[in-house]
Amino acid sequence: MSEEDDLLSFMYACPFGLIKFDAAGVIGMINPHAMKHLLPLAGAQGVENFFDAMEKYAPELRNVADAFAESNGTICDGHRIVVDLVQKRQEGRPQVLACSLVKRGPNQLIATLNDISAQVAQEHRVRQADTWFSALIDEINDHALLTVNGNGTVLSANPSFVRQTGYRVEQVIGQPVETILCAANNGEHTPFAIADQLCLATRDGWHLFEGWEKRADGEDYWCQRLLVARAEQGDEDDPTFSMVLRDVPEPGEKTNDLIKLLTRDYLTGATNRMQFQKILKREHTRYLKHGQPLSLIILDLDDFKTLNDVHGHPAGDVMLKQVARIGADCTPANAVFARLGGEEFALLVPDCPVRAAIELAETLRREIAGLEITVPSGQIKVTASLGCAEMSETDGSTDDLIAIADRRLYEAKHAGRDRVAPVAA
Amino acid sequence: MHDKNPAFETVQLADLESMAQAERDALDFGVIGLRPDTRADVYNATEARMSGVDPSQVQGAPFFSTIGQCMNNFMVAQRFEDEADLDEIVPFVLTLRMRPTRVRLRLLQARDVERRYILVAR
Repeated sequence: MSEEDDLLSFMYACPFGLIKFDAAGVIGMINPHAMKHLLPLAGAQGVENFFDAMEKYAPELRNVADAFAESNGTICDGHRIVVDLVQKRQEGRPQVLACSLVKRGPNQLIATLNDISAQVAQEHRVRQADTWFSALIDEINDHALLTVNGNGTVLSANPSFVRQTGYRVEQVIGQPVETILCAANNGEHTPFAIADQLCLATRDGWHLFEGWEKRADGEDYWCQRLLVARAEQGDEDDPTFSMVLRDVPEPGEKTNDLIKLLTRDYLTGATNRMQFQKILKREHTRYLKHGQPLSLIILDLDDFKTLNDVHGHPAGDVMLKQVARIGADCTPANAVFARLGGEEFALLVPDCPVRAAIELAETLRREIAGLEITVPSGQIKVTASLGCAEMSETDGSTDDLIAIADRRLYEAKHAGRDRVAPVAA
Repeated sequence: MHDKNPAFETVQLADLESMAQAERDALDFGVIGLRPDTRADVYNATEARMSGVDPSQVQGAPFFSTIGQCMNNFMVAQRFEDEADLDEIVPFVLTLRMRPTRVRLRLLQARDVERRYILVAR
């Protein structure tokens, strides 16, 4: 066998995706492993262009590559792409891919793609175990400790709790734990209700939350709040929990930057796909416990590919940022607005019946239709189609919630775009 | 007796089974035959020319985890697992000599025939 044949066989059999493309994304070379992942992602976009093929799941790749000014070097390393929002793992389908981008020259890029679903699942398990063990190992007596019942009523408090928070024991016993915690303004961080935390700790055995808390004298401090179901449970219907509060140094700018980097979409600053998946899971758990209506709106910009083709991606990007700004302005306090990919956004609204969600979707539609931006090639406008669904319409799963909202989104598209489905009563 | 000039769209599973290697090599489309354990035992000359891989490199190796990795997803490999009888043409993109190449694949499987086939037309 010749050396070239040998090299070719090696590339065919390589268990790692390799793709070579130019600055515009046009693929020159690609090995079978890369195609295995790219083809199912690309769908109708085709696989001639790397950025187009990834647009639906990782639109940020085009932006980070464009923003990379050096003539060569690593653009991103092991960047994670959530491929599947579906909670139920499907055999053989990856959930998370890792992508690295390297610039070899002004017009030459290489991407690697590999499936890291198993690794991500493993990390999650390790992180859970870590939290658990560090709480046990760090002299637990030195931490503020509360015992609470399943309703969140404080049963006991230790001397460290008094020292750390400034509350007296008799002030807190018999009180709902909310009245002494969660008082601080958490700003950008989503506050996390005790009821939600109890719910998760009941399901998983424990839950860790970090955020601002307030001492009795009004001073804010950064706190790690670990809630653990107590092992010695007498009565299964009336569980008790230990709540450990650690006063830790407030996270520096670096941590905040990191949190932003990991949870926000690179271009628009909207919540990203990975974070949306986490919040969806959390809100679903809350829904199962409390049964309050949970609505989902899926929004897709109409004919966005044409806009990109005619006016260029930079114009499309400006439009996406404006849409994300409208989305953020229209998002109620407890809701989350996320960019799922490409020109697709989602708004998850807890405690919201479908009728109210339709109204909200209608507001979004109107605001977006009213947008007009100026680009070098002229004035551009855009419209959106939206599909709404509510948890009570589903079989109880978030997969079904997404499926119904998606189906209605396509009904809105088929009915002529620039509209909401279902139609407001 | 089978057709003298079998076509990609119409050739039957039984025809492929009864052909000698030289006949399969003479076809103007690629023919890949897989055992039930997905090891390849047919890899005709047309396919070898398109991919640039010598048949000896392919035969006996588990196809979907070596040369045919790009088909190792729900679009091809999973369908052979899920559907006992299968005869369908799917548009696909192969990476022949590492170049993305649009092709049509015909997936052929029948419950009474051990070997399953993937036909490739450029």
